Amino acid sequence: MRNVLAIAWREIRTYFTSPLAYVIIGTFLALSGYIFWAHLVRFSELCLRFGSNPYFLNQLNVNDMVIRPLFGSLGIIFLLMIPVVSMRLFAEEKKSGTAELLFTCPVTTGQVILGKFLGAAFLLLVMIGVTLSYPLVILASNASPDMKPTLVGYLGVLLMGLSFLGLGLLISSMTENQIIAAVGAFGASLAFWILPWVADSATVTLASLMNSMTFGLWEKLHLGVGGPTLGDLLNKLSFIDHLKDFQKGLLDTEHIVFYLSVVFLSLFLTQRVVDSQRWRG
Amino acid sequence: MIEVAGLTKAYGDRLAVDGISFSVDKGEIVGFLGPNGAGKTTTMRVLTGYVSPTSGTARVAGFDVQEAPIEMKRRIGYLPEHPPLYREMIVRPFLRFVASIRGVPRKEIDARVDRAIERCGLQQVAGRLIGNLSKGFQQRVGLAQAILHEPDVLILDEPTVGLDPSQIREIRQLIKSFAGAHTVILSTHILAEVTMTCNRVLIINEGRIAADETMEVLAARGGRTRRIALRLARAADGTEGQLRAIPGVLDVRREDGQEGVFLVEAEGVRDVREQIAERAVSQGWGLLEMRAVTLSLEDIFIRIIQGEAA
Repeated sequence: MRNVLAIAWREIRTYFTSPLAYVIIGTFLALSGYIFWAHLVRFSELCLRFGSNPYFLNQLNVNDMVIRPLFGSLGIIFLLMIPVVSMRLFAEEKKSGTAELLFTCPVTTGQVILGKFLGAAFLLLVMIGVTLSYPLVILASNASPDMKPTLVGYLGVLLMGLSFLGLGLLISSMTENQIIAAVGAFGASLAFWILPWVADSATVTLASLMNSMTFGLWEKLHLGVGGPTLGDLLNKLSFIDHLKDFQKGLLDTEHIVFYLSVVFLSLFLTQRVVDSQRWRG
Repeated sequence: MIEVAGLTKAYGDRLAVDGISFSVDKGEIVGFLGPNGAGKTTTMRVLTGYVSPTSGTARVAGFDVQEAPIEMKRRIGYLPEHPPLYREMIVRPFLRFVASIRGVPRKEIDARVDRAIERCGLQQVAGRLIGNLSKGFQQRVGLAQAILHEPDVLILDEPTVGLDPSQIREIRQLIKSFAGAHTVILSTHILAEVTMTCNRVLIINEGRIAADETMEVLAARGGRTRRIALRLARAADGTEGQLRAIPGVLDVRREDGQEGVFLVEAEGVRDVREQIAERAVSQGWGLLEMRAVTLSLEDIFIRIIQGEAA
């Protein structure tokens, strides 16, 4: 554990003693702040216009109209920015030769990977932590947002960010070029994001493909009927689908397990990749 | 301290290290010598556990590099060819970080870091960014990170490369001061370095060990053959053949560019100078100069590399 913390701490130092952390956090806050402000202005304008009408007044909800869309936007910004956080994690070590130091020290590959992941996760935590001020701003005013669903939403965004980070770490371990690591991480994250777009047609395509391959037996024996379809599977793999319940303030273990599984699987594969590189040289 | 048996490392089809075996005793300073691409770095990377061997075994400080890598790594210090430095870190925090992942107890970290800084002469740069230091100081920071946990075995890959002559001397002094307490392996392609710092040399060529000898034995190889330089005033076309005919002479060459200068190689056990002189007088070649040339380490090295019997 001491090794993990030492590596995580060094990682954090590197982010915060270089301009990297400040550029990332600054850009992130500027974008998310603007989005939050835009929603807030729209909401207050609606309040002014329809506030006198008791029917509309019931429909006006600061949670639904300001905070919930904010989480969706945070997710998209993460999709674009986390590859930049994760790209250097292994690629830079390999390029500069410091990997040779880490892997000849009495630390295991798992400790190195976990340390790096925690270090980057800390930066993510800082990014999200600062945006907590947005709902607090509303709290300070007359409007009273419901804080519980808000915090659940934050948990969802954090978990999704960690999944992106895991994927990014995995890609970074495969190359010593940071740009390739960033582009690869972005591609992988986006792929998981957009998987459900083809969910419905994928089910149909698969069924007709199986049907023609089995000379119609597939349909006659009702093999494709019942149980999850390919479309269901793709839907379940989508990063954005699992965020939806969090956004609504619903805490469902299914989604927590999904994101944590992505993180765990990514870290595990990273360890395999790093170890295999030592065999291949 | 170090036992290597039948070590082989292949990168794809290419054998970087081809079945080498050697052992190093405690307190020895051993030099790995060989041309670039001979397999020195790969051997060191296997010994430090950075790459896994394709076959064969290596034990360092009593632990197998594959079966007990963590225990083994606790007992080594390693300076790779390119010093592994985080350029954006300051010297002292960097050394503290390395100390903590090298397993130095928390309470001792400050003392060990101070000692390493002092031994490597880093006092004046301890508060500066590593990326801003000169190559010489970076090399010393690299050395400091390798020694700060007082390892049993110190593995240094080309420790003096890129340094100026006075820095090279300092680093050599530093390495020499480790003798006895630490076992040191260093690689180099500079012969003088081996002569000055090591008490044993392993010459590696094309992934194999071409020679494994103490410095004295290696130097004595120079005496096994003799070279004699001749300068003749009136050398004829047949001179070379006639010299070769003298018993004990192995080879005769004309020196390029110098009129009348010959290099004669002779068996070490026989002194052929007298016969050469007699022949020169009887044939009227006009002997101007004759001197014995001893083989330098450089010559021995090149001969071993080229696979000749020196």
